[in-house]
Amino acid sequence: MPFIKKHDQQPVKNDERTQERDCESLVLSLDNPDPVARRWAARDLVECPDASAKLVERLRVEQDMSVRAVILSSLTCLGDHTAVAGLVDCLRSEDAALRNESIEVMKQLPDEVAPIMRELLHDTNDDVRIFAVNILESLCHPDVESWLLEVIENDPQINVCAAALDLLLEVGSKAAEQPLKRLQLRFADEAYFQFAINLALRRIAED
Amino acid sequence: MKRILIVDDAATVRMFHRSILENAGFEVDEAINGVEALEKTLQNPFDLYLVDVNMPKLDGYGFLRQLRELPVPQVPAIMISTEAEANDVQLAFTAGANAYLIKPTKPDLLLQQIQLLLGDGSI
Repeated sequence: MPFIKKHDQQPVKNDERTQERDCESLVLSLDNPDPVARRWAARDLVECPDASAKLVERLRVEQDMSVRAVILSSLTCLGDHTAVAGLVDCLRSEDAALRNESIEVMKQLPDEVAPIMRELLHDTNDDVRIFAVNILESLCHPDVESWLLEVIENDPQINVCAAALDLLLEVGSKAAEQPLKRLQLRFADEAYFQFAINLALRRIAED
Repeated sequence: MKRILIVDDAATVRMFHRSILENAGFEVDEAINGVEALEKTLQNPFDLYLVDVNMPKLDGYGFLRQLRELPVPQVPAIMISTEAEANDVQLAFTAGANAYLIKPTKPDLLLQQIQLLLGDGSI
């Protein structure tokens, strides 16, 4: 049976879209004091290819959860270089919610995030490297395991390695065996590493 | 037997802490974020909480702030974080933590801290 997309039968109420729908006015509406107007603007800006920077800018200050959700959805759809760059910048924010939201959007943009992943994994900020590993958690990309192995072989920071180790527990293949054993030696005094690496090695052997 | 709730989104970390705590004779339960931890608390309060900072839905700070408002017996909470800066420690104590440990956790330090907080020779 063919899939028939159901269209929303509800007519758009007059009060839902009160501004002109050109890109310039939509950008202006992002600063409207009314969250309904901001939400509609964020939704409709998905049709404006240059809107990413403005959407990221609004995301950084937006307090209304429903508007934030729509901004994130539009950024995911736009998914261009500017959107990704803006989201990377949000990873450096002190706002934990903003960081987590950015990570969630970036997980959905494997093709756009992949070219900058190595750069993120070598960022000078430990936290950004941990967030980069968090993005890999559900980034559907063939290089995920090799990126993680690079982290556990080379990253000097224990918590970055721990984040990569947690993920390798799920996705590590036979190729991870030797790097994991070297990591176990590198952090021989850390009970957590011994525990987690033994688990990972056991799981890999069973596969 | 004292009951401890581990609140952490990382499965391996939960397993690691569970193994330490169970070996020390505690009854352990787990929650994967602050929301689930609050739900479990309302069903059956715990004697101590082991709380991660960064979690989806409701992070460790948010969980502790809400826990401290609940009409349940107020028991100790240990916050566990990768962050070692004074500001992060201060945030944890302001939110309602009674102790702060840096990840990855050292089993002996964790058990010492629990003993201090429970103060009843329960280990």
